[in-house]
Amino acid sequence: MGDVAYFGIRHHGPGSADSLVQALQDLQPVAVLIEGPTDASALLPMLARPEMQPPVALLCYPEEDPASTSFWPFAEFSPEYQAVLWAVDNKAALRFIDLPSSARFAAPVTDGADMTEPKDETSEDDEKAPHRRDPIGTLARAAGYEDGESWWSDMIEQNPQPGPIFAAISDAMTTLRDGEVSIAQFEAQREAHMRLEIAAARKEFDGPIAVVCGAWHVPALQAAHTQKSDQTLIKGIARRKNTTTWAPWTGPRLALGYGYGAGVVAPGWCKHLWRTRGRRDAATLWLAMIAAVLREKGHLISTASLIEAERLARTLAAIRERPKPGFEELRDAAIAALFNGEALLWALVEAELLLGADVGEIPPDTPLAPLIEDLQRNQKTARLKPEALERELSVDLRSDSGLFRSTLLHRLSVLGVHWGKLTDSGRSRGTFRERWTLAWEPEYSVRLVENLIYGPTIEKAANGRLIQMIEAAGGLDTLAALVQSAITASLSEASTAGLAALEARAARSSECLEILASVPPLADIIRYGEARKTETNRLSGLMERLIVEGAIALPYAARDLDEQAAATLVGAMRKADEAIRLVEPGDDVLDGWRNGLAAMLEGSRSTALLAGCAAQLLYEAGRLSAEDAAGLLERRLSPGTPVSEAAGFFEGFFSTAGQRLIYDEGLRGAVDAWLKSLDEDAFIAHLPLLRRVFSNLDSMERRRLIEAVLGRAARLPAGLMPAPDGGEAWRRHLERLGPLLKSET
Amino acid sequence: MNAAIRLPVERAYASELQALARGDDRQKPAGWSLSPQAVLTYLLGGKAGDGTPITPKYVGRRRLMETAVATLATDRALLLLGVPGTAKSWVSEHLAAAIMGDSTLIVQCTAGTDENQIRYGWNYAQLLAKGPSQEALVPTPLYRAMQTGKLCRLEELTRMGSDVQDTLITVLSEKMMPIPELNTSIYAQRGFNIIATANNRDKGVNELSSALKRRFNVVVLPLPEDMAEEVAIVSKRVDEMAGGLDLPVPKNVGEEIARVLTIFRELRSGATADGKVTLKTPSGSLSTAEAIATMVGGLSQATWFDSGKLGAEGLAASLVGAIVKDPVQDKVVLEEYLETVLKKRPDYAGYYAALNAAI
Repeated sequence: MGDVAYFGIRHHGPGSADSLVQALQDLQPVAVLIEGPTDASALLPMLARPEMQPPVALLCYPEEDPASTSFWPFAEFSPEYQAVLWAVDNKAALRFIDLPSSARFAAPVTDGADMTEPKDETSEDDEKAPHRRDPIGTLARAAGYEDGESWWSDMIEQNPQPGPIFAAISDAMTTLRDGEVSIAQFEAQREAHMRLEIAAARKEFDGPIAVVCGAWHVPALQAAHTQKSDQTLIKGIARRKNTTTWAPWTGPRLALGYGYGAGVVAPGWCKHLWRTRGRRDAATLWLAMIAAVLREKGHLISTASLIEAERLARTLAAIRERPKPGFEELRDAAIAALFNGEALLWALVEAELLLGADVGEIPPDTPLAPLIEDLQRNQKTARLKPEALERELSVDLRSDSGLFRSTLLHRLSVLGVHWGKLTDSGRSRGTFRERWTLAWEPEYSVRLVENLIYGPTIEKAANGRLIQMIEAAGGLDTLAALVQSAITASLSEASTAGLAALEARAARSSECLEILASVPPLADIIRYGEARKTETNRLSGLMERLIVEGAIALPYAARDLDEQAAATLVGAMRKADEAIRLVEPGDDVLDGWRNGLAAMLEGSRSTALLAGCAAQLLYEAGRLSAEDAAGLLERRLSPGTPVSEAAGFFEGFFSTAGQRLIYDEGLRGAVDAWLKSLDEDAFIAHLPLLRRVFSNLDSMERRRLIEAVLGRAARLPAGLMPAPDGGEAWRRHLERLGPLLKSET
Repeated sequence: MNAAIRLPVERAYASELQALARGDDRQKPAGWSLSPQAVLTYLLGGKAGDGTPITPKYVGRRRLMETAVATLATDRALLLLGVPGTAKSWVSEHLAAAIMGDSTLIVQCTAGTDENQIRYGWNYAQLLAKGPSQEALVPTPLYRAMQTGKLCRLEELTRMGSDVQDTLITVLSEKMMPIPELNTSIYAQRGFNIIATANNRDKGVNELSSALKRRFNVVVLPLPEDMAEEVAIVSKRVDEMAGGLDLPVPKNVGEEIARVLTIFRELRSGATADGKVTLKTPSGSLSTAEAIATMVGGLSQATWFDSGKLGAEGLAASLVGAIVKDPVQDKVVLEEYLETVLKKRPDYAGYYAALNAAI
């Protein structure tokens, strides 16, 4: 019969990990029992292999449904991980004692709406009672601490012996759970199962046994229950065969509330505590790390400021009557002494410092990667075989099977697995047909395994990866493109995230060009959205907002631009206008857009090229009548206007509307009058411009224009021969211009 | 009976300070009349050792005050930063009163403040008669605070010129002030420290040099986080100011304050109150103090020109004035806010129309 020692730990608490290792060293148990799914016990020793680099997670999922995977993440500072390392090093038996993972899937802990998230231990009643999820955190908060780890280390500071610490924690938990009337059925079953496993271990092992479990469970595991009642309790729990394996994990994912329930709020801080355990300069090192991040971002942080920050942290700890500075003291001191009081700046370094960018590694021979399994299943459904040889595939998006195939290929592309390549990319979105070239490369399997950190199925991983890209994306146009790919791959989470990011970015952007450039891809999604089943309401709302914003920004953006900037903006403006006309937004939005154009046209500082373009767009839209347009041209091209400005206006108006001149007498008259009014130098200076405008016309159109101007004769009349005093240059120009006008080139 | 309009806080709150001092048995830093914990109780409210109730002087985050007190306890200078109307001077005065029992060593810094008002000046009659001598020297509040080990308050530090600001560097780092004319220096006595206040978002301020900034611990006092709290502050101040200006207060003032503050807070925070729409923020600070000024302006307009009716039309001009500080950028921000947010709210229809007309 073995003696059982209970170690109630804080999941992912570096403080309890440290105390636990010392306690295990003192106890020298022959067996270590850990809270975790029994069916994964066999995988446990793998954790201690040198190729295994935490953070990693244990994955358990039913073979036919990897989407409902459960995760048990392990970081280097997790007490469970340290217990495994100790047990392997000291050749103690190692076992998980919680309910098998299959019971978890059968238990109705999550409602249907939550199916998109991996199921985790945080069931609804945990939300209502945070003390059950993180009892040590609750005790810390009751003592006025924001960070449970600082509280733990202050406790240790006052009681340096590891043994009594766990006894004290157990007492505290007994008090917390005292008077507990009933607990959820699933919780009761878990505790019953652990009790039974402990009892079995006592029979099996001779010598001390260590039980490592969440502090909350300790009183229940120590309480006396008959084996019989426990067995009745767990009768009927599902015992299906589950697949279990390891997957690499990341720092930021550790911060989510998966797995052991207690999501690690700040993995970076926990890692720091673990690495500096037992050292006296942990606070100094943490401040130095803050300074390093700040310096990397270009702030000047002197060593003297670091000294002051540390002094302030110590005084703060004294005022708060704590033995040494903890997380909050160091943060407050850093804000006051290093950040010039700017809490916003702290938010900037927080992500980098607290989440960390750690990515775990798993040994190459780890059994089965769920993504590959998922791919195989999908390939079966899609009736597509991975072949190394190139093969053409044409899919019809109207049929279910075609849509399924296309979605699968698009999702794989998101994951960097370019099994299929779109041969007519860009053009295809408008049609119901896509053409792919398929070719499978062996390294795609490796790439799939790398993508495990984003999720256990292709859909989830693609979602996760795209969301990460969206978070990192800078401009509106990039975001719009990412949303487009999320929607083509029908990744609803990523498209929701993308739309939210777009909205946020759209609100902040005042860069007119950026706003206008994001309109066409969004219009594309809205117009061709029907080919794929997407909800376009939200998108239309966003699009309308962008149009209104763009319209408001236009008159200001058009002021005093140089030639190049004006040309870029004109391009974006035309594309946006085209997209807006195609989407057919509400009348008030369309009016808003045209009002913006009109304001730009009237603005006295608007660059002439842009004003001309605005006039043309308004004219095409019918907002400007033919007479008004002719009047406007007459005015803008009249001799009072500087010639370069008149030319700019002319170019803006006619660069895509040369044909107008053929039919529109009023316009033609105005242009004719302007051309005639130019003196020789100005005319020569503007020849390239005229050529540019008229070269958009084909030969037939040019002929008709000449007919319209010069009458049916369509020959250069004698009156246009070089004037005797015209000089050599004029003659040379006419030699070139004549054939051009007669479209002989 | 004292006819002063306002007494220094150490006299106005003398009974609270005495009660705290009586029950204070914790360790005090050198020169302090209260322990840091008692100073915190005085600022944030609570009970003195003998049960005397202490009124809260500062309503807001506790940890900011903890940082402020801890800073002064480390002999490092404290800089209170924030937009106008965030109780910077108020906190500084109460800190000095609680720590030293004396909040009157104060220098009001302006663009016209020169070194003589910071370090020491000269009595020219004495100077001519006796030449440079201790008797000819006129001490400043900073000089006296160093000599007696007290707290010196510098109001609006960034308003004085950078060259004058930098005379503080030696005082702060070496805790001494050289007097080269007399070939001597004065050394700060224990307890001496500086509390400075400054605007972080204002026109006409001189940015602190990084050498000086490095010698301060900075605490930024935020605008009220809670809408209800801010409405209460504004209503109270508007009532008081309207009383002082003999302006009658119409019945609907509460509703209008709520609307104006909603507009202020949404633009200030860059998101609508329901968090659904993100917005651009204008360049001005849109502080609580400006909301008060807008309301009082509206009241005045209502009383004198709109036959006592307070509404969107009367407020629009002051609102635009408060929001549009930069004629180009801020105008776009406001236009966008009007089109994307206010237009869709039926109960703001009056503001939408009036603001559109006023831009």
